[in-house]
Amino acid sequence: MTEELVNWSGSLRFTPGRIERPTSEEELSRIVRRAAAEEKTVRPIGSMHTSSPIFVTDDILVSLAHLRGVASYDPGQSEATVLPGTPLHVLGDALHAHGLAVPNLGDIDVQQVAGAIATGTHGTGRSMQSLSCMLVGGRLLTAAGEIMAFSIEEDPEFVRAVRVSLGTLGIFTALRLRLLSAYDLRRREWCTTIDRCCLHLEDLIAENRNFDFYWYPRSDTVKLRTWNRPGEGPDDIPYATLVEDRTGPAHRMLSKSRSLKFHEMEYALPAKTGYECFERVRTAVLEKHRRNVGWRVLYRTVAPDDSCLSVASGRPTVTISLHQNATLPFWDYFRDIELIFVEYGGRPHWAKKHTLKADDLRPLYPEWDRFRKIRRQMDPGGVFMTPPLYDLLEGGE
Amino acid sequence: MKPIGRTLWVVPGGHIPLYSTGKEPRCTSNDSLSVLNATDRDAHLQITIFYTDRDPVGPYPLDVAAERVRNFRFNDLINPEAMPLDTDYAAVIESDVPVVVQFSRQDTGRAENAICTTMAFPGE
Repeated sequence: MTEELVNWSGSLRFTPGRIERPTSEEELSRIVRRAAAEEKTVRPIGSMHTSSPIFVTDDILVSLAHLRGVASYDPGQSEATVLPGTPLHVLGDALHAHGLAVPNLGDIDVQQVAGAIATGTHGTGRSMQSLSCMLVGGRLLTAAGEIMAFSIEEDPEFVRAVRVSLGTLGIFTALRLRLLSAYDLRRREWCTTIDRCCLHLEDLIAENRNFDFYWYPRSDTVKLRTWNRPGEGPDDIPYATLVEDRTGPAHRMLSKSRSLKFHEMEYALPAKTGYECFERVRTAVLEKHRRNVGWRVLYRTVAPDDSCLSVASGRPTVTISLHQNATLPFWDYFRDIELIFVEYGGRPHWAKKHTLKADDLRPLYPEWDRFRKIRRQMDPGGVFMTPPLYDLLEGGE
Repeated sequence: MKPIGRTLWVVPGGHIPLYSTGKEPRCTSNDSLSVLNATDRDAHLQITIFYTDRDPVGPYPLDVAAERVRNFRFNDLINPEAMPLDTDYAAVIESDVPVVVQFSRQDTGRAENAICTTMAFPGE
């Protein structure tokens, strides 16, 4: 009998029909061809850090864990081709050994690179795009079981679609990434009040390469986090207390090890009304949810991009994340705050908790129909489509 | 200095007030512990929270450096999970070295602020 799988936070449990762990493109091709012949669906999984059911299937689950590592690199072009099952923290060390580094990372780096890219995972920084924007080429196993090479030089429109595609256009077997030369970052964390943070927010966002803040509902205080190249950024934040100061390779400074598991909802909002939305969220938490919610709320920025289904597509973006301990109820809290996010035109993170369906999402993405057309062309038989994905990506005619 | 304190302490009457008035965080209603570690070794505390209607939760780990005092609010405990406000609870505090534990409650739910404080009950 196939084993039951549980995602990182424990909120999703399912038992697929079978789990495949291919070690080559050829083996993966045979798996997909056989599935298509049997009219089964195939879903790829990464590290299962995802907490939305986009990878859940009753049929065939494909783990890419054996397809990992850096396949080739070119420091002169600041590019590398990596395999899909490479965890981000492994990728960071491997790239560093070749004199390369990712431009940005999220707070957590346990995800596999293909999953992080395909779901539009991001870090923070007003000029920092999502991780998906690193993708400039690669290889994709299609629903027909064939390998398709793609590149931004030959087909930029396809790359704009495939970057954030939730594994519905095919399964990445290699990803060519545009990177930076290896660099150091100085990471500092500061404690201050919400009023001071609000007063200086625009400067904090503008003056630091990467900046975000956590708001703590139980004390109405904040922690500011800044990342800058050594010698750059503000010398001091005089209205805050410095509590952490470290410098090192960028990939080790951007993310932090997290052992405590949590549920998360995150929405991406237009930057110009991002803080106004945050204040609405803060008020709602203080007035209605503080009894049961102790975890912090995270405020980040993301630069706009042109990927069809990126949450930052076409607009400077602020993201607001809600957290709740994995052992505690979360839906009452998340659903209530989600109403505020939706009111502000928020787009939910594809890999986190939300309740939106295709009809809700379509008006939020100007290139929704173009993506859907490409998806239908790439996978007319729905080999990569499951009921949760039909709910998410189809409909909305 | 002779060892001061005990390795087991109990606070049976916990209840974090829900409402606060005044500027936070100074005026946030809270339950708190003050822990004195007068020994020359770091203290590693484990706190278990008991409720009226569900299983205990814990341990909540907390360290107090040698020859230091540390104050913390139950409101801020997050690992393994946030405690509910406005809910009766009891706390059992275990330490690997003798410490002295004092419990305090600040209730700012009304403009007339109230603070009460007492020694926790020392176990054997």
